[in-house]
Amino acid sequence: MKNASNINLAIFAKRKRTNKIGLALSMSAMVLGMFFLSWILGILLFKGFSSIDLSLFTASTPAPGSEGGGLANAIVGSLMLVGCCTLISTPIGVLAGIYLSEYGDRSRIASVTRFVTDIMLSAPSIVIGLFVYALVVTTFKHFSGWAGTVALALIAIPVVVRTTENMLRLVPGSLREAAYALGAPKWKVAFMITLRAAQSGVMTGILLSLARVSGETAPLLFTALNNQFFSTNMNAPMANLPVVIFQFAMSPYDNWVDLAWAGALLITIAVLGLNILARVVFREKVQA
Amino acid sequence: MMANMKTMFDLNQIDSQGGNVNVAINEQPIAAKNALEVRDLNFFYGSFQGLKNINLDIEEGKVTAFIGPSGCGKSTLLRTLNRMYDLYPGQRAEGTINFYGQNILEPAQDLNLLRSRIGMVFQKPTPFPMSIYENIAFGVRLYEKLSRSEMDERVEWALNKAALWNEAKDKLNQSGLSLSGGQQQRLCIARGVAVKPSVILLDEPTSALDPISTGKIEELINELKHEYTIAIVTHNMQQAARVSDYTAYMYLGSLIEYGKTDEIFIKPKRKETEDYITGRFG
Amino acid sequence: MSDKHLSSQFDVDLNSLSSRLLEMGGLVESQISTAMRAFTQMDLDTCNVVIENEKLVNDLEIQIDMDCVEVIARRQPIARDLRLVMAVSKAITNLERAGDEAERVAKRTKRLIESGAPHNINVAEIRLSGQMAISLLRRSLDAFARLDTIAAAAVVEEDRQIDEEFRAFVRKLISYMMEDPHTITTGLDMLTIAKAIERIGDHAKNIAEFVIYVAKGSDVRHIPHEDLVREANK
Repeated sequence: MKNASNINLAIFAKRKRTNKIGLALSMSAMVLGMFFLSWILGILLFKGFSSIDLSLFTASTPAPGSEGGGLANAIVGSLMLVGCCTLISTPIGVLAGIYLSEYGDRSRIASVTRFVTDIMLSAPSIVIGLFVYALVVTTFKHFSGWAGTVALALIAIPVVVRTTENMLRLVPGSLREAAYALGAPKWKVAFMITLRAAQSGVMTGILLSLARVSGETAPLLFTALNNQFFSTNMNAPMANLPVVIFQFAMSPYDNWVDLAWAGALLITIAVLGLNILARVVFREKVQA
Repeated sequence: MMANMKTMFDLNQIDSQGGNVNVAINEQPIAAKNALEVRDLNFFYGSFQGLKNINLDIEEGKVTAFIGPSGCGKSTLLRTLNRMYDLYPGQRAEGTINFYGQNILEPAQDLNLLRSRIGMVFQKPTPFPMSIYENIAFGVRLYEKLSRSEMDERVEWALNKAALWNEAKDKLNQSGLSLSGGQQQRLCIARGVAVKPSVILLDEPTSALDPISTGKIEELINELKHEYTIAIVTHNMQQAARVSDYTAYMYLGSLIEYGKTDEIFIKPKRKETEDYITGRFG
Repeated sequence: MSDKHLSSQFDVDLNSLSSRLLEMGGLVESQISTAMRAFTQMDLDTCNVVIENEKLVNDLEIQIDMDCVEVIARRQPIARDLRLVMAVSKAITNLERAGDEAERVAKRTKRLIESGAPHNINVAEIRLSGQMAISLLRRSLDAFARLDTIAAAAVVEEDRQIDEEFRAFVRKLISYMMEDPHTITTGLDMLTIAKAIERIGDHAKNIAEFVIYVAKGSDVRHIPHEDLVREANK
């Protein structure tokens, strides 16, 4: 190469080597991860796909020993539980996130809130389930869908709070200043400008919290319990996919085991779908 | 308090086309009036003093430019004029700033109302994440109730004032972010103009733009100054020479010299001023 | 804050303008001296030297003007730098015209020599004012080099003396021509030469006025003398 008289070729060669090694290491790590992921998905598909038919969605869970059956009640139950959880956790989480980012920021309340949120993010979900059991189930003297919703919400809210706050913080201060400069009051700046600018990020957070709670089993064990029959009564124990899988997977009945695999596959597809959706939504907005 | 400011009172007088109604035909020429009078202004970032004893007048209907090296306090001064610093704890101003006779540094001053009368455009173009139409309507809706057709007229008027109407009229519903950098900045100017403030503050409005966009905005300033009072901070001295009627040279938080732009750039009174503008800053 | 620009090339460009002005001034000075010598000694060859070198003066004017325009285009000078460039641009015009006057003296002298007519006109005044004009020009250029406004004001003051000398000479010439009409042709040539010298003094005065413009920023052309002195002493 011309005019490269000051380049030390030994250093250059060493750097290239280091580069190659680093690249090789990261590629192998990725392959390892992908391998196990593919393995899990593969087994799920292999074991669960055969059980996927129309009856899965129309018939309720079979009684012990009876033939056939489906997961209709569990699917509907899960949808209702997760749906109600979202309705509760989204407003609370987003508003708390807005408070932390736009209003409280350096106040005592804000730092305490952040601390508590961080703890709850990593709290064992079974502990949360037990907590709700002690608080709600024993008070009302029965298991219920509402208890399950509360438990799931306690898991979802910290996720939403965190992502909302982080996404709002990413909005540049110059945008807020531009809104203030027009004479906008603080709440309008926060809701109509900052939140709007961060909306795709916030929605991603909500979707991720959905994905998280879709698969939570432990909290539901003590709260919503399970229901063999089809029911939409939130005041009574509610069927849901995770607990059904738990119950059926280790049972001696073949059809129960098959249904468990099918349920696992359904949950995995749902979580995968939500994650992909979140990414697609986020990517679109960034490119705009 | 409100009635003293050149404020909401004016909004009622001006129709949505921006023309003045009920204006006397044979007006006597009015003596030069000051939109803003700064007296003994001191500004602090915590314990650091950013502005030292500033005294100056900003004349109505004229463009006043602030020049000086980095850290001289020109942006700080601009941001005291609409009390932008109030957003940040630890920053405080002492002294008086009279806006048509009203001291805006008083604690009782309603900041939002003040900022609707003294608007600001920043260095980095910041369109809101909404359509072009909504960008402009947002500010207007804060303090005025307009029907759909009135709002349409106001948006068109503001975009015309910013020389952006022809480029934007077919994409009013597209996001403000879909415009080019120069267009975005003109959108920000249209946004600021739409609420019909008395004063427009420009903080290095063309620093981030190419020469052609810069030229368009300078031309804009030239046209806007007939109806608005404009204060502009710029680190480009030729720009200050081109657009302003008055220039203030600042250094390390103090006002060194203030006068008519022609005088400052041909025969400045202070050696410090001459050294700075001729590039003898050693 | 120093007197040097952040851009050293800018300093070089401005200094080069000033020094080229002085170079042209030196050339014009020598032209005038040579023309005066030609007149005093009535020497034909010396006249021709002046007439030939006039071209050099004109070329310098064009070159320096181009340099001025280049500096303006490249540097957009303002304040004192702008005043300096404008002053140089105008001063070289004055110098070029002073050079023209020197050439005029040489040409008229040549005509006097070639006509061969004897004359008794006492040309002491012409010689005297010629020396004064050269001194004035030198001092005005000197004041420009040092941007010395006091010296410049003195030049403006002393140009009046050249004007006085000229008027005196004209009166003398008129009476002489009235006495002997045969000397009118010669007398008119003399008049032209005297007038040329008087104009050289005026050009020196103009250059001195530019010195005050560059240093103080006031345009002192066409104002009463007391005001000029006041501006110079500020």
